[in-house]
Amino acid sequence: MEWQLWVIETLRRALVYGTPILLGTLGEIYAERSGILNLGVEGMMILGAFVGFTTAFVTKNPWLGFLAGAFVGGAASLLHGFLSIHLRVIQVVSGLALTLFGLGLTGVLGRGWEGQPLKASIAELSVPGLSRIPVLGPILFTDQNLLVYIGIGLAVLLWWVLFKTSWGITVRSVGEDPRTADALGINVALVRYCCTFIGGLLAGLGGAYLSIVYRPSWTQGMTAGMGWIVIALTIFSLWHPLVAIGGSYAFGSLFYLSFRLQPWVAPELLTIMPYLFTILAPLLLHASRRLRRRMGAPGALGLPYRREEE
Amino acid sequence: MKRVRMRRLKVEKRTNPSAWTVFCISLVSILLAFVVIGFIFLGFGINPLEAYLEIIIETVGNSYGLSQIVWQSIPLLLCGVGLLLAFKTSFWNIGAEGQLLMGATAATWVALFSPLPEPFLIPAAFILGFAGGAVWGLLSTSLRSRFGINEVITTLMMNYIASNIVLYLIHGPWKGETMRGFAYTDQFPESVWLPTIGMSDIHWPTLLLGLFAAVCVFFILNRTRLGYEVKVVGQSPKAARYAGISYFKTIFYVMVISGGLAGLAGAGEVLGVHHMLRHSDQVSLGYGYTAIIVAWLARGNPLIVILTSLLFGAIYVAGDVLQLSFNLPFQIVNVFTGLILFFLISSDTLLKHKLSFRKGE
Amino acid sequence: MKKAVLFALCLVFLLTGAIGLQAQDKLKVGFIYVGPIGDMGWTHAHEVARRIVEDTFPWVETVYQESVPEAKVEGVIDRMVRRERCAVVFTTSFGFWEGTVAAAKKYPDTIFAHCSGFMRAPNLATYMADFYQIYYLNGLMAGALTKSNKVGYVGAFPIPEVKRHINAFTMGVREVNPKAEVHVRWIEAWFDPAKAKEATNSLIDAGCDVFAFTEDSDTVVQVAAENRMPVFGHYSPMYNSAPDYVVSGQLVHWENFYLDFLSKVHAGYYTSKNLENVDYWDLLKEGSVEVGAKFGMPVNPKWKSRLGKTYDLVMERIAQMSDFQMVFDPFTGPIYSRKGAVVVPVGVRANYGHLLSLEYAVKGVVGSWPGEPK
Repeated sequence: MEWQLWVIETLRRALVYGTPILLGTLGEIYAERSGILNLGVEGMMILGAFVGFTTAFVTKNPWLGFLAGAFVGGAASLLHGFLSIHLRVIQVVSGLALTLFGLGLTGVLGRGWEGQPLKASIAELSVPGLSRIPVLGPILFTDQNLLVYIGIGLAVLLWWVLFKTSWGITVRSVGEDPRTADALGINVALVRYCCTFIGGLLAGLGGAYLSIVYRPSWTQGMTAGMGWIVIALTIFSLWHPLVAIGGSYAFGSLFYLSFRLQPWVAPELLTIMPYLFTILAPLLLHASRRLRRRMGAPGALGLPYRREEE
Repeated sequence: MKRVRMRRLKVEKRTNPSAWTVFCISLVSILLAFVVIGFIFLGFGINPLEAYLEIIIETVGNSYGLSQIVWQSIPLLLCGVGLLLAFKTSFWNIGAEGQLLMGATAATWVALFSPLPEPFLIPAAFILGFAGGAVWGLLSTSLRSRFGINEVITTLMMNYIASNIVLYLIHGPWKGETMRGFAYTDQFPESVWLPTIGMSDIHWPTLLLGLFAAVCVFFILNRTRLGYEVKVVGQSPKAARYAGISYFKTIFYVMVISGGLAGLAGAGEVLGVHHMLRHSDQVSLGYGYTAIIVAWLARGNPLIVILTSLLFGAIYVAGDVLQLSFNLPFQIVNVFTGLILFFLISSDTLLKHKLSFRKGE
Repeated sequence: MKKAVLFALCLVFLLTGAIGLQAQDKLKVGFIYVGPIGDMGWTHAHEVARRIVEDTFPWVETVYQESVPEAKVEGVIDRMVRRERCAVVFTTSFGFWEGTVAAAKKYPDTIFAHCSGFMRAPNLATYMADFYQIYYLNGLMAGALTKSNKVGYVGAFPIPEVKRHINAFTMGVREVNPKAEVHVRWIEAWFDPAKAKEATNSLIDAGCDVFAFTEDSDTVVQVAAENRMPVFGHYSPMYNSAPDYVVSGQLVHWENFYLDFLSKVHAGYYTSKNLENVDYWDLLKEGSVEVGAKFGMPVNPKWKSRLGKTYDLVMERIAQMSDFQMVFDPFTGPIYSRKGAVVVPVGVRANYGHLLSLEYAVKGVVGSWPGEPK
């Protein structure tokens, strides 16, 4: 059937395009849940993209590329972590500085790497059996790359950790009310470092996905504002890993549809669709009272924590 | 806790650093950033002293460089002052870029299509520019007040939407007859071009508006009821409610000013620099985003925005010099900006604390 | 042939250059780019040409600045003339025209040349190397290769330059395969790999099986190759990105213009007084553009047999358009817009002005077309 085909095609593309957004969003959710606002996602992603690409290019091993990309993103996030946790600087500026620094550094170092096609990308795989399920099979289990599954798996895992384990409670309490958490004997700084680092790892991995899987080559500025979409989707998903799956893939679907629908709808109207959706979809959430209560940001988001006696 | 403190330097809180201390520490941190940047120059095989000499000559060393700095700082000043006010209320307006673009769009409409007689055109363009930016900003506040949607999402996404509106206009209804099909509006009639100072590109009416805005916002913050409300709301919305201050009313006025000033910046850019509406990336070189930094670095004082916007103007011009004279890639300017920012904000810690060495007890 | 001319030119100027030219007498030339030099498109091609110029003419010294915003071009020219003492400045984007014209007035002794512009002055020339003939040739091949009769085109901006190319491409497709359609998607960016990728995917899902594009990366080539579909490279030689799937493409030799122009400046033939009518509009016969998957490879040999008789047609057309008289041009009437209007009457060859400002879509183009005349 025609419409079935449309759904399949759209969601297939949404999974591929939405995965780096999902990875970044998951990371930022953790950072923000612990109270650290990191506006450096764009910078960490581009660093991950560059280092991931060069590593995969040199070693001819895409998995090493993912590792290296994630690691560099994590390292960059620790700089932001140090500045905002220990030096207690304005997190907005520190994050923006990280974004500028990442874009700049990769632009400068990446000069000689541009225009070189990466031969060592990961293979697409089909899950035998499952790929024959109608609709879902062709979307999820035919010629998809492993990172898509990793993204969804991570979302579920991170949701479980955040809401079903004691460490998750720790993280949330640090982000909600660090003073009380501290009084309970939680090492606020350590938790925040960990969460910021997770944020950096995942942003870096998302970046590496872009340069290794999504478009296997390196170009300066190739994240093209994806880090900012991540920031918006983090809030959009109410700092909830499972909602992030929906948000990222809905954004991905609309991005794809903005080209697919061009013969029928004016392209100018279509290009604003994903952004309009991100603004207006919370209106629907507004209808649900239960969700409305949870719409607030973590209480201590963006606020440095200082112990009384210091 | 005592045990830890014994091994460290002693850190004392500094309550009110004098303006002079702030200035000195900031300057030292910028100089430190320059030292680090010097190593990057070495990495490129460039003598850092030579590079800095060239930068100094070409930025502050001649009238031409100075005028470029001022020219680039004008939109940053206007956006920065507005953002500073919004941030004071803890309203996270990341949408100065979009507000600037809508201001530019409104001003373009006045310049090209309005039936007004000539002498009213420039004032009308500025007024509508202000209105355009304000309306764009208010959309976010109303979504916040009516539906509780976080302003970071709305302001950020509205930047993209504004950019697409500009694209739609220049490709569609406003496409210039004389532009041979390229996506620009027609050039404005020369009567609506803003006058510039001498041979330079500084469109002084916008600059004056910027300085005036800085003083006004300073006045508002320190001498008016709105300023008091802004401070209370910014510190704690809960406390504001007890004090009988309406959060949303305050945000409303603040965003009228914040968005409006960004809109003025946009009007100034099209009337004074471009003389037409062009691709959104070309109308604003990310001014709305850079202004976030400009505003934060001013540490809550709108008059200091004048300094920080000039600092960024200088960084931009220095970047141009480095590209042309030393063949460095254009992204180098972002590396420098990032480094300078890291050092500047780290110095904040120094400002808030006094350091002194003390042996263990 | 071209190489021989180049060599002769070099020899002449090496000799003249040897006579009494000292280091400080070098002709300093400034290049102003609109994008980063590392992309695979427009700016990169100019940068390649700049390096060739510097290697070829020992009496030339160059400086450049990349990613220059349109509003800042005048400032960059200022610094190039004032500080770097450039005698010649090339501004390589249409959007630079305002600043270039203003600067030409301000510095009457400096020679300027503005790429793809139309405003000239005694010290300001204009130049352009256009691809429409190449796109037509690519279209011929695409028409022969498509099985679904749907050819995909990812376009940057709906401006006359891109529209001209899509029209030429479509005319080529329809000449070989009158039933075929060209499906167009706009991405509203010169460089945006993500948009190019999803636009290509949406074309694949719409049934297209051959691709051409206007975007400054090799994204479309990559996506087409992943789906095992033939594709035509754009601006840079993209053969290496997918040796099995890049059939041909559009290639440029900006150095052709720069060498010619600078040698005439050097010889004193062009001065800051007589450029009012100097306008280069370079096509195949001038040798500034080339059809090919990479330089010297007009058609990827792997695809030659698939093209069959079309291969001979392509070669014939190349010869005709390279001819000094240009005995063939795709924009020759009758041409109908897809709305049914006659846009070029029978027997008439569209002139330069028509080509520069065309807004219509020819028959066979499918998809939205912003700014289409009623």
